[in-house]
Amino acid sequence: MAMSPSNTASDTEIAPSVGTATRDDLAPPWQVLVLNDPVNLMSFVTLIIRRIFGYSEQKATELMLQVHHKGRAIVWTGEREKAELYVQQLHSYQLLASMEPVD
Amino acid sequence: MELLNHDDGTWSLRKVSELEHLMLTRIRDAADPTGCGEAEQRLYPPPVAPRAGSGRGGEGGIEEDWRQFVQPELRASFGDALKVVADDIGRATAGFEDGVTRYEINVPKAHADHWCSALNQARLVIHHRHDLPDEDGEIDDDPDPEKWMAMLQSEIYGILMEFLVTRVLWLK
Repeated sequence: MAMSPSNTASDTEIAPSVGTATRDDLAPPWQVLVLNDPVNLMSFVTLIIRRIFGYSEQKATELMLQVHHKGRAIVWTGEREKAELYVQQLHSYQLLASMEPVD
Repeated sequence: MELLNHDDGTWSLRKVSELEHLMLTRIRDAADPTGCGEAEQRLYPPPVAPRAGSGRGGEGGIEEDWRQFVQPELRASFGDALKVVADDIGRATAGFEDGVTRYEINVPKAHADHWCSALNQARLVIHHRHDLPDEDGEIDDDPDPEKWMAMLQSEIYGILMEFLVTRVLWLK
């Protein structure tokens, strides 16, 4: 059998392995924001951030002060589904919070 | 009014004056956002930041899911908290001290979160319904009586909430 005259590299290439990527692998991360609210007590905001995210008192206080002085703070970044859960938890304590995809 | 945190799993309000008791009995009504769109919007805000815009990452779907599934849960949870607090206040005992009526309310610590929720709901609605000034805003020297009463009510709720957060619920 004669060898094909067109025995190019492409004939012997091994097909690249195809993996499966979940939607979250491909999707951009989301960030959870706590927004300033003139009514919520500072101590309450700190307590709730500690409770939900398990942050230290120092970190939660820093985030609360960022909310207070700058109007908002990014308190968490990650998968969209988890971000939704965190926003729901924050809303359940009446904290003004929202989520957005990371630019 | 005296606020005490006990070692037996309870906290209590003691020496509650008639006016303070009246304010407490009004928590449930004060927390009702009916007729105040701003308060309703504040208690049930959208989940996605406005500047994120629609169409990026399917935010439009989140908003609809939120209205359909999350907001009813929040409403139920907020309503439960208000009921627990109203029941606790309904168990207040009255006595006379120096010729005036004073109330006492003993509350399980397990209810502290319900109280925080109810007090915060009320403060948020009062703030929006009466357009109270922000913390750094100017306070009207001569507000109308209704607004003055709303400010006093919010202040009392704030003091009680601060006690609960820092003395009863604070994480060690």
